[in-house]
Amino acid sequence: MRSNRREFLRTTLGSSAILSLGATLPDFLRAAAATGTDDKDTILVVVQLSGGNDGLNTVIPFSDPAYKKARPTLAIPTSDVLKIDDTLGFHPSARGLADLLEDDSLAIVQGVGYDNPNRSHFESMDIWHTCQRKSDTRTTGWLGRYLDATQANKSGASLALHLGHEKQPLALTATGVSVPSISSLESFRLNDSGDKEVRSTISKLAASKQDESDSLLGFLQSTTTVALAASQRVEQASRDYKTPVTYPDSELAKKLKTVAQLIDSGLGTRVYYVTLDGFDTHSQQPAAHAALLSQLGGAVSSFVKDIDHHGQSDRVAVLAFSEFGRRVAENASEGTDHGAAAPMFLAGKKVRAGLIGKHPSLTDLEDGDLKFHTDFRQVYATVLESWLGWPNESVLGGKFKTVEAFSA
Amino acid sequence: MSLTKIDPTWAWTPYRPSESQPWNRIRAAHLFRRAGFGATSQELDAAVGRDPDEIVAGLVTPNLDAEFESESDAFATTILASGNPKQLSAWWSYVMLRTPHPLLEKTTLFWHGHFATSAAKVEDAGAMYAQNRLFRQYALGDFGKLTHAIARDPAMLIYLDSVTNRKAHPNENFARELMELFCLGEGNYSEKDIQELARCFTGWEIRRGSFRFNRFQHDTGSKSIFGQTGPMPESESIDIVLDQPAAPQFIVRKLIRYFLFDEPAASDELVAPLANELSEHAWDIGHVVRRILSSQLFYSDQVIGRKVRSPVDLVVGLLRTLEGSTNAYQLGDDLDMLGQGLFYPPNVKGWDGGRAWINSSTLLGRANVIGRIVRDEKTRFAGVNLKAYFDQLDADSPAAIVDQLVELTLAVEPSQTVKEQLVEVIKRPGDRSQRIAEAIHALSTIPEFQVM
Repeated sequence: MRSNRREFLRTTLGSSAILSLGATLPDFLRAAAATGTDDKDTILVVVQLSGGNDGLNTVIPFSDPAYKKARPTLAIPTSDVLKIDDTLGFHPSARGLADLLEDDSLAIVQGVGYDNPNRSHFESMDIWHTCQRKSDTRTTGWLGRYLDATQANKSGASLALHLGHEKQPLALTATGVSVPSISSLESFRLNDSGDKEVRSTISKLAASKQDESDSLLGFLQSTTTVALAASQRVEQASRDYKTPVTYPDSELAKKLKTVAQLIDSGLGTRVYYVTLDGFDTHSQQPAAHAALLSQLGGAVSSFVKDIDHHGQSDRVAVLAFSEFGRRVAENASEGTDHGAAAPMFLAGKKVRAGLIGKHPSLTDLEDGDLKFHTDFRQVYATVLESWLGWPNESVLGGKFKTVEAFSA
Repeated sequence: MSLTKIDPTWAWTPYRPSESQPWNRIRAAHLFRRAGFGATSQELDAAVGRDPDEIVAGLVTPNLDAEFESESDAFATTILASGNPKQLSAWWSYVMLRTPHPLLEKTTLFWHGHFATSAAKVEDAGAMYAQNRLFRQYALGDFGKLTHAIARDPAMLIYLDSVTNRKAHPNENFARELMELFCLGEGNYSEKDIQELARCFTGWEIRRGSFRFNRFQHDTGSKSIFGQTGPMPESESIDIVLDQPAAPQFIVRKLIRYFLFDEPAASDELVAPLANELSEHAWDIGHVVRRILSSQLFYSDQVIGRKVRSPVDLVVGLLRTLEGSTNAYQLGDDLDMLGQGLFYPPNVKGWDGGRAWINSSTLLGRANVIGRIVRDEKTRFAGVNLKAYFDQLDADSPAAIVDQLVELTLAVEPSQTVKEQLVEVIKRPGDRSQRIAEAIHALSTIPEFQVM
């Protein structure tokens, strides 16, 4: 891994085209080359479950009679549940999550949500991304504010990467840092038909100063500069990756394998962000939800194995969340409508494995939904302080009590 | 420059050409970029000889062109025979590239993003095509009628899980999105309103691809929505939603964002006059679009260059401006790769647009797509290669070619340095058409190329 890293720095630094791109990149390279300590920095991989995961059919209170009553067609039979203890168990398709728990690599934070829950996908996702309500001016995301804060201390770039075809999550929006989005490693490069002169013109154009007063053109300029620089780094980093771990054939697995590859290449990125969409199961939930949980568990457990094989497991943690859980009572379309509280997951060798907090009551509901007892910002605070080593207050806009999700 | 401080009276006063605000090629190019997908040099010459208000009136009330209609229908028939909804994007790309009614297509695309429905879930090319025709039918017409029609549209109901809707446990998905995303906007209704509206839609079903009302599954009990109480049969409930004052405001704000500027969101004061007119004109979208496109605000610095080009604006725009022809199937795939897969919006909220179009992958992708199209020797511009095309425009020197390119494709003038570097690219020895293609490729990477 170290030789990969050295090679990456040597070849990247040796490329004259990249050095002509402007101020950002040499700063980044200087920081990475000078410290060499990036190898030890902890890394956070966020997995966003879009659409509202049915937490109740993910971590199942199988012994509670109220569960089967609320879910006459959707309840998972007790015999099929992958038991965690005498009252709770995983959906049978979440085998990967059960394996992670068995392996002391999964923490389940139960009953996570926030006050006065919003049941719009978009509004609730914005709340999770920004930690702010609609009445606030929301311009940055919680991870974006973390990037802004660390950037000020380190003067580096590309501390975060988003992998995926969808638009960049608001959680990553910062004021002073532009986060690259990569839809695939193969397409993440400028095709210049091998013409070095055109390439050099494009680099020169990207380096020409933009009128600072125009924020839209300024944004486009900095995104272009970052895109050209990041594409060269990633192209270099993505060569020759070998792993004995066989990932399942799924979109999420592909993305996480790419993350493992980039981590192994020694890219100084601290935050990776991927999404898995499709959790909005208003109708015909059983097959769809089973496939999603299988994809989630299979991809994350393979990723953790792979990371471990490459000697990186002490520095990588995965955080999985969804914008809300689903209504306790099922609807008439063999589905569930938008709800509130749900579990969050943390995976990796360094998490304190097991259940954190109680499963919310199925009878003491609020508008038919589970009540939260742990604010999602407490989990963010935990990740910031106990994992990324950064004070949470300025990032989250208030002091939040952490939960015990990481081993000391 | 603060968009929140725009004076609404000034903003919506019709634009009249004057010495300080002349009607010229630059303003005409702006109009055609925003009201369509750009204009050729010839079209600009023709436009400056006409009254801008008259041009907009013509755009808003298109007289259908029978010849083009039949070509388009024939292409659609071929694609529908394949049964593959992915290929529909080729058909629509072709229509946008060739239509004599660009504003009609641009507004149809607006409704596709508004009542966003994805073939990824619907998986029925025929239903997606029928919905697209519905958008076109009402694109510049009656929004109330469009909303009633979309509530019974098979593709929409499949997309929002309303194929079956039984009274025992009503499915809230369609009721929620009708209020949140289609008519009112988040915050303008309560959870209770959603639950009650969902009861009104019980019994609405899709059977064998068509809408059906199943009275046995309809909840006939009394409902209470926005303070009105009653059984609210059938579509009466939709009218109650449409009658909310938030409805015309919500639609006007979205039209302003689509046709004028991405950010910030238009102020209540700016929205109010047009929202009132939309109510007074019985939901006539064409009227409001015409007011927007002929306003003083439209031709002001607060609007010109203030919108990020969507992938359609970018690629279809360049091709229409230079009369380029290309493979429609490839074009459909390109738009998808750049984040605007036609018939495949990302979710029920449609495309966010604005800065959300832009990230490092899409920027590299934009340059790669434009580069490939213009470098491809099969791409023809008005039937000839790039050198011959610019010769026809009397642009025979590298500097003249760059000036033409800048005038035709950019809303914001780039720096002198940028222009000089492009001139250098064209001056290089070798095939002139290839050199022009390389200059366009380089041009496609600059910030000014991404806005309009």
